[in-house]
Amino acid sequence: MSRVKSLVLLTIFVLIMSVGAFAQEQSGDITNWIDEPATPLAEDVRSNFFLTLALILPFLLLAEGLLIYVIIKFRKRPGREPAKFHENVRLEIAWTIAPAIVLVIIALSTYSLIERINYAPQSDMTVEVTAQRFFWKYHYPEHDITIAEEPLVVPEDTYVTLLGTSMDVIHAWWVPAFGVKKDFMPGRITELWFKARKGTYKGQCAELCGPLHADMLIDVEVVSEEEFEDWIAQKKAELQQAGSVPVSGDDEKGDESSKQQAN
Amino acid sequence: MADITVSKPEAGGRKAPLLLRIYDWLATGDHKKIGIMYLWFSFVMAFAGGAFAGIIRGQLATPDTGLVSPEFYNMIISMHATLMIFFVIIPALTGFGNYFVPLLIGARDMAFPRLNAFSFWLAVPAAILMFASFFTAGGANQAGWTAYPPLSLTSFSAGAGMDMWILGVILIGTSSILGAINFIVTTANMRAPGMNWFKMPLFVWSWLVNASMILIATPVLSAAVSMLLADRLFGTGFVTVSQGGDPLLYQHLFWFYSHPAVYIMILPGFGMISHVLASFSHKKIFGYKGMVIALALIGIIGYTVWAHHMFVAGIPAWLQVVFSMLTMVIAIPTGIKIFSWLATIWGGTIRFTTAMKFGLGFISLFIIGGMSGIVLANVASDYQFHDSYFVVAHFHYVLVGGSIMTLMAGTYYWFPKMAGKMLSEKLGNWIFWMIYIGLNVTFFPMHFMGIQGMARRIFRYRPEFAELNMLSSIGYVFMLVGGILLLYDLVRTVFFKKDEDLSADPWGVNDVQQTLDWEVSSPPPAYNFEKIPEIK
Ligand code: HEM
Ligand SMILES: [Cu+2]
Ligand SMILES: [Cu+2]
Repeated sequence: MSRVKSLVLLTIFVLIMSVGAFAQEQSGDITNWIDEPATPLAEDVRSNFFLTLALILPFLLLAEGLLIYVIIKFRKRPGREPAKFHENVRLEIAWTIAPAIVLVIIALSTYSLIERINYAPQSDMTVEVTAQRFFWKYHYPEHDITIAEEPLVVPEDTYVTLLGTSMDVIHAWWVPAFGVKKDFMPGRITELWFKARKGTYKGQCAELCGPLHADMLIDVEVVSEEEFEDWIAQKKAELQQAGSVPVSGDDEKGDESSKQQAN
Repeated sequence: MADITVSKPEAGGRKAPLLLRIYDWLATGDHKKIGIMYLWFSFVMAFAGGAFAGIIRGQLATPDTGLVSPEFYNMIISMHATLMIFFVIIPALTGFGNYFVPLLIGARDMAFPRLNAFSFWLAVPAAILMFASFFTAGGANQAGWTAYPPLSLTSFSAGAGMDMWILGVILIGTSSILGAINFIVTTANMRAPGMNWFKMPLFVWSWLVNASMILIATPVLSAAVSMLLADRLFGTGFVTVSQGGDPLLYQHLFWFYSHPAVYIMILPGFGMISHVLASFSHKKIFGYKGMVIALALIGIIGYTVWAHHMFVAGIPAWLQVVFSMLTMVIAIPTGIKIFSWLATIWGGTIRFTTAMKFGLGFISLFIIGGMSGIVLANVASDYQFHDSYFVVAHFHYVLVGGSIMTLMAGTYYWFPKMAGKMLSEKLGNWIFWMIYIGLNVTFFPMHFMGIQGMARRIFRYRPEFAELNMLSSIGYVFMLVGGILLLYDLVRTVFFKKDEDLSADPWGVNDVQQTLDWEVSSPPPAYNFEKIPEIK
């Protein structure tokens, strides 16, 4: 009996834990794409995730339920003989085909998305990203502005394409609320896109890149069109004042310091 | 332990002097002793790997106190994974394979006993290299157990630590390749008369498929890390961008091994668990042929899915579709196995021995690990979950809930056969619940950390993940207690308890199972069988 009780207790415990986890409060900035997806793509990815859950949870519950049932029902008791069957071809065919059908459904729902994830429907604006241990450098080619170790600022409801590469090791640009993640590699240019609602969003590097990988954070500010224009103007002014491009020439320094950290 | 096999077969049973007994172990070519040495080896390594896990969880429970430096943290996660995979799970499965494959097919030993000993002894210098690398300038591998270039190249991982890691991986890989050859030849040639392919017990089948996988996959891993080593030491340009190399090449080769490796870490466990579940339900295994076919299918399809680790690495969309599809296909034979296990215990008379508890616990956990695997096979979801804590949750449910639980079940099931004594069932009950509860408390919350956006391999995280991480670290303590209790019971029983004169079939299961391991005495005599048995 105690065995059954512990099982029940454990199940309850796990359930409480899961509810607690989902009910966690959010701070002002957004990492949580389940509660607040910030792009249409993230919404689709979320629906796709929920569909997958909805399709596999019955199997999960069925299998775990059967297991618990068997454990309770078929305990050794005096006078009961074990059954003798050890084959049932129909049953075996059934449990081969049923999961197969479910998997086909999951697959179909995914494959339309893969195309969207990988190829932007259109592009209104391009930002070139250079990852470097342990920060991101953003270049706005249309405005000839480069910023580093600052939040990426983009206008809302704009198709933004990021073209990314890396100066040193592999990094990955990941903002959960946008539903995107992509590796940026030396010697290659990879691409991702988003079209986000207004807000401030958090993300971080998702590929082990060295000692300070944990601190290679990403901040994105998605602002209105006017705010974006203002921001551009302000950056241009700053640039003119400094009289040079601020971050070029910084590259080697960054490289040096990262090498020191490695030792 | 030594007195079991050395003195027992001699009439009169006078013990040989200690030094001689030790020598006898070190120089042995006996598959049973080699098997036991593999098992102790991996058990010791499990404590090292577990201690590393403790450091990880300690740091993540208190990220702001700076328990460890970021550099050291990266060494610890890299070595934790390396130890658990290459030095715990694979050798432990090899240990059981060594001991029981010849017994189960009615052979006197492995086909090449000296080669068998050599395989084991290769693992020892490999382990020494791994631990010694901590003491080099620059320390151990900090680039993860995946060691992706460029991070693992000299510009970012200078020092001998990485070179030693690579050599260690090559050594332990060679060890398992040689072992695999031995298993294949043994199974092909040394089966007792009458034991045709479809009379072979599932554990033997699982090892045969496993060995075939090792034989194909492991050399590719050696190739991948050898390229890395050449780039590091000789300035070649296989994977170095500035020399015209491509880091993606490394990733393809690495995963061409390492994906099949996850099946290499679970297939023999599948075999073992089949024996345990059938035995303690007192039934025959359900759907034997289906199980064999499923094993073989997993072995084959396992080769075609590697790039599902690279969905976000910038591979073309059509490749993502192909690899996602193949990955889902492999879920089907896995599902067949789970349902067949359920059908095996259905209608049985279940005895809740510790081995059976681990067996049932395994099913419950492996179902969860399998389901999260389907979520990851779904490319769109994987774009969110790749390299997040969701992945960490998934592979621990599979590796700890799967491989480790099957190993525990196998240990309790076969211990009386190997030692001629029983482990304590009372302690076993505690050990099971400590590990089972601890495992769920440790790893279940990681699903939610991942869903909420916590990246993997970070020593510090945003404050919103603090509660879940604390919970997870508390779970670790339970597992630790379980592990220490097991250590206590094993040492106590093996070294200090008297022989119990167990019967050949102490569990009373062989009227139904009819496998040869329960036909010979416990422990089995040297060369296993006086007369090679005939199978009807
Ligand atoms: C006491 C139990 C364990 C605990 C608490 C634990 C904890 C962890 C944690 C927290 C990580 C993630 C580190 C990071 O990504 O920042 C990790 C990684 C890992 N663990 Fe465990 N672990 C345990 C047992 C095991 C076992 C038994 C295995 C293998 C059979 C294993 C295999 C791995 C692997 C392969 C990684 C991946 C490392 C990487 O590539 O990032 N762990 N473990
Ligand atoms: Cu990075
Ligand atoms: Cu990083």
